[in-house]
Amino acid sequence: MSQSDERNTADLMTIDGIGRRRVLRSLAVSGASALAAPALMIKPAQAAGRPIKIGFVSPQTGPIAAFGEADTFILDGVRKALGKGIVVAGTEHPVQIIYKDSQSNPNRAAEVAAQLINNDKVDIMLASSTSDTVNPVADQCELAGVPCVTSDDPWQAYFFGRKGDPKKGFDWTYHFFWGFENIAEVFSNMWNSLPSNKSLGLLFSNDPDGIAANEQLPGVFAKMGFTVTTAGLYTATTDDFSAQIAQFKKANVEIVMGIFTPPAFATFWTQCGQQGFRPKLVTPAKAVLFPSAVAALGPRGVNLTTEVWWSPHHPFKSGLTGQTAQQFCDEYTRVTKRQWTQPLGFKHATLEVAIDVLKRAKKLEAAAIRDAIAETNYNSLVGPIQWKTGPVRNVCLTPLVGGQWRKGKSFPYDLDIVNSQSAPSIKPDSVIQPIIYT
Amino acid sequence: MSRLPEPTGSTGLPEQTHSAGSRTRSDQHESATSSDRGDQGDSPTLRPMSYRVARSTRSSRLFSAALGVLLITLISLPWWADNGPMRLIAEMAYFLALAQLWNLLAGYAGLVSVGQQAFVGLGGYTLFALTDWYGVHPLWALALAGLMAALVSVPVALAVFRLRGAYFAVGTWVVAEIFQLFVAQVPRLGGGSGYSLTPAIVRSIAADRGTRDQVLYWIALALAVAVTAAVYAVLRSRHGLALTAIRDSERASRSLGVDTWRTKLFIYVVTAGCTGVIGAFIFLLKLRISPASGFDVNDWTVVVIFMVVIGGIGTMEGPIVGMLLYFGLREWLADYGSWYLILLGAVAVVVMLRAQRGLWGWVESRFGLSLFPIRRQLVILPGTGQGESRE
Repeated sequence: MSQSDERNTADLMTIDGIGRRRVLRSLAVSGASALAAPALMIKPAQAAGRPIKIGFVSPQTGPIAAFGEADTFILDGVRKALGKGIVVAGTEHPVQIIYKDSQSNPNRAAEVAAQLINNDKVDIMLASSTSDTVNPVADQCELAGVPCVTSDDPWQAYFFGRKGDPKKGFDWTYHFFWGFENIAEVFSNMWNSLPSNKSLGLLFSNDPDGIAANEQLPGVFAKMGFTVTTAGLYTATTDDFSAQIAQFKKANVEIVMGIFTPPAFATFWTQCGQQGFRPKLVTPAKAVLFPSAVAALGPRGVNLTTEVWWSPHHPFKSGLTGQTAQQFCDEYTRVTKRQWTQPLGFKHATLEVAIDVLKRAKKLEAAAIRDAIAETNYNSLVGPIQWKTGPVRNVCLTPLVGGQWRKGKSFPYDLDIVNSQSAPSIKPDSVIQPIIYT
Repeated sequence: MSRLPEPTGSTGLPEQTHSAGSRTRSDQHESATSSDRGDQGDSPTLRPMSYRVARSTRSSRLFSAALGVLLITLISLPWWADNGPMRLIAEMAYFLALAQLWNLLAGYAGLVSVGQQAFVGLGGYTLFALTDWYGVHPLWALALAGLMAALVSVPVALAVFRLRGAYFAVGTWVVAEIFQLFVAQVPRLGGGSGYSLTPAIVRSIAADRGTRDQVLYWIALALAVAVTAAVYAVLRSRHGLALTAIRDSERASRSLGVDTWRTKLFIYVVTAGCTGVIGAFIFLLKLRISPASGFDVNDWTVVVIFMVVIGGIGTMEGPIVGMLLYFGLREWLADYGSWYLILLGAVAVVVMLRAQRGLWGWVESRFGLSLFPIRRQLVILPGTGQGESRE
């Protein structure tokens, strides 16, 4: 400060040519302003602080790319809503969202997460869609001490799949989605709302999901009063289900539930038709989430039932853009000419929850952001998010309801909500119907 | 993989070209000195020139110096640079090590294995099991994982060595698939859904993140340097000669007294052991392993084959060039989604059509460069003949 101040003082003296006291006072003023200058440079009223960085990992290519197909649209929307930035602890900061493709590969997901942590030094990490993306990213964050919010992966797979201890939980990583217990509840509610002989046929794939389901679900459904016929595990690439179909026919099965990939289900369902097996309800978990998968079945896609985690009819609004679920989906269809899909809501919600967290953070540093996550109480596009009452410390449950595919109006198929006993705030669109055979 | 004994072979193996070339040259000497090739220089009656056998060339000596400087720069990186690029360099380092090993297997020993992911996954799972179940320190577990992979590779070799060529390739892949299916059935290893390393285990390397990142970075560098040096040493040794002989013609080398079976077994087991250490290290960085990620044929074998084949199979420089090319493309294009994969494929197609011996093979034939001199060459001492004969 000394040199420039001296010059200032000298200038004042020559210009004003006044007494010693005045000079001293001006010296003091200029000294004070010199001291204050750096502070003013940071905060002229409410100018920009350093950019906040959000890392976002999602499968954009690879076998599960369908989950990430809306990512560009969602990022554009969030960036537009953020405008110049957000205010954190009294300072406005621009927000930078760094998006990385996991290529549907857990090895790649871990690598891009490490890159976001080490190179980009993100303030908060986000990831969504299946254990293969969510778990490796969360693991990297937990070790590096980076706050992390994830979604779109059944919570047991997220929590126990990462060796979580329900007593301790995780320090840095938080998740919101539903769990396998919700699946059992929603499916049985749907089946019970239609008169049937309650004879249930179960068929699972010989892969992680199928094995887990095979251990849990038959017992749960038997306890709920269904007569359960388990056709065992089938190999994912099989092209012959006649033995299982025969077994179901023999047991007079009226309801079929299974875990299928879309191609495996297409094979199974075609063979059911060929062999004259006509159950009243078929609920293939995982297989008919996307309208494209149903359209591939042709007219036989009508009245298949599935789990619904989000739809345009959910009575929720984005806290960031103010759009309702319906408005959000309409906008998506207008921009991309495509039909809405379930991951849409969760991708947007993951981002808006992160923004809410950042806005509430007391400081722009990892621990403060993490504390803000734990304190979350937010109404998102997929429902209320808070981590105080979850099944374990780091998990927040979102509502799950039952849906049925119907002949569509502007697209080949529409998904109607037909049962929401488990989440009464969501209103059903229509009443469940048995599959119609001609 | 039968290799045709044509002199300038379409198999594109430099040793062949070279031996063909040097034979012509020594033929010339023969005509000049009319002596037998074997005892050409020592013939008491004819002493027109003396020679020595050398391996280093001027370019290789320059390269060694440059390599030394690069290595010192890389080792000292944590002290003067941001820790950002460390993770990427570590990844490049372990891929280089994998590529050198696969090159040794396929490019020199003629063992075209498509199942090296078996040992990557085995190493990874061994590390997870040892540290999690028995509380072994992760760095010790790295070494033990290598030992485990080497031990397992012996019975595997006994089985797959009964197969030849394409059948061998498929056989090794089948072995890797069997490993994957086996691990998926073990609930203690996380079954089909996978297994995460608890943060406490990784923190036992160093509690503070900065130090831990540095230690892991140096391990990655050490792995790459050690593997490259080991491969180089093997190739310059007696085994190296045997290997090149086997690569060119297994039957012929056997008739010359090379114990082909034992040499191949030696290479297979050493490669498996090193791959196991690298696999354990990879998953110590990734923190999570699942049957699909540990035994991923794309990540641990196809990418590695891409590096070696595009860079130049059967040369030590090839894997380095291929590795740099792969990472360059990935860093530059990975954010373009599907376009990245399409371009990667396009590069592979173009290189295979235009430079069948890989990029380094092209450089070598064009400029006669050799940075890791493996072959011996005849240097005619000055004053005794036409001067230094260059390769």
